[in-house]
Amino acid sequence: MTDEARLKALMLRGLAGDAQAHAALLSAMSGYLRGYFSRRLGAGAADVEDLVQDTLLAIHLRRGTYDPAQLFTPWAYALARYKLLDHFRRTGVRKTTPLEDAGELFAAQNPEEGAVRRDVSKLLGGLSKRQRQLVEDVKLAGLSMEEAAAKAGMSVTAVKVSVHRSMKAMAKKVRDEDG
Amino acid sequence: MKTDELIAALAADTPPIAPGALGRRLALALLVATAVATALVLVWLGMRPDVHFAMRKAAFWIKAGYTLALAACGFSLTLRMGRPGARPGPALAAAPAIFGALALLAVGELLASPASLRVDKLMGDSWRVCPLLIMAIAAPVFAAAIWALRGMAPTRLRLAGASAGLLAGGVGATVYGLHCQEMSAAFVVTWYSLGVAGCVAVGALIGPRLLRW
Repeated sequence: MTDEARLKALMLRGLAGDAQAHAALLSAMSGYLRGYFSRRLGAGAADVEDLVQDTLLAIHLRRGTYDPAQLFTPWAYALARYKLLDHFRRTGVRKTTPLEDAGELFAAQNPEEGAVRRDVSKLLGGLSKRQRQLVEDVKLAGLSMEEAAAKAGMSVTAVKVSVHRSMKAMAKKVRDEDG
Repeated sequence: MKTDELIAALAADTPPIAPGALGRRLALALLVATAVATALVLVWLGMRPDVHFAMRKAAFWIKAGYTLALAACGFSLTLRMGRPGARPGPALAAAPAIFGALALLAVGELLASPASLRVDKLMGDSWRVCPLLIMAIAAPVFAAAIWALRGMAPTRLRLAGASAGLLAGGVGATVYGLHCQEMSAAFVVTWYSLGVAGCVAVGALIGPRLLRW
């Protein structure tokens, strides 16, 4: 399932009043947003978490402006970009942010991302559905172990064990293929 | 507050959102503002005395149709510009096309008139006040459109402000048509359009300040 399809499904359920889906959406978005703002401001910049929270708040309060007939990711990206530009304006940093597409928010930082992602999805394919979800949440979306555990309804320890095993299995698979 | 706590707090308050709520908010604001603008025209400027006669003429409806079509473009643009990531859509091209259509009609009208009457057709009796009065009548509609936009999430503020201006100008010009007795297409396409364009310019100018959130 693509990011778009997964996030949009959560958004639609949230719009219908499903609080659990809405929480899962905000959790997933916080990972993407943290990555996006970190890349823009430098990792560990003090303002990153403020911007993440600000944008999550905007996603929550202004979710009525999402048109279900449209894609979700460009909507979320436009909000994040607006918050970033607003931040630059308020802090007086003169910096141009080119109009990229929504891919920017949902992409990892290196340019080989497309190829890497294909490889990763191949590797993930070898895992069970639950394992795969946890690896995606923790390693790709940037959720903490606690967040991923809450989302999956598992204990933190169980998540740690599962993710660790998955990573080992995937590493073995890579070695086998290379060797 | 930690982000996890924020998410939990936000998700605890997740009421369902009615589809189409955004459009209803704008439509409702527009309804109230149009009533105010109409009252303004009737009380301040007065209904044109020959309205019953004029309503039997095509020119009256062409004028009303022109300004209403611009208002419809403004409505569509305003609604879209209130949604993050949305493209302006067909209305962005439709508005100039509507202007172009009436401009063609106006040229035809002028060519068909005796040369001695052409200046009168173009300038009418009220060209000095027409654009300014349209902008004044549009003011309450502009305020309503800005109010509605502030409840949305505009991310391109200048374009959103200009859209609100087009909506306000279109509605303002339509309502002003209840008072104004000019009937030539050349007059309407020139001076009415100038009034609407003034509203668009004001919206683009002050939109970013009014709409920042």
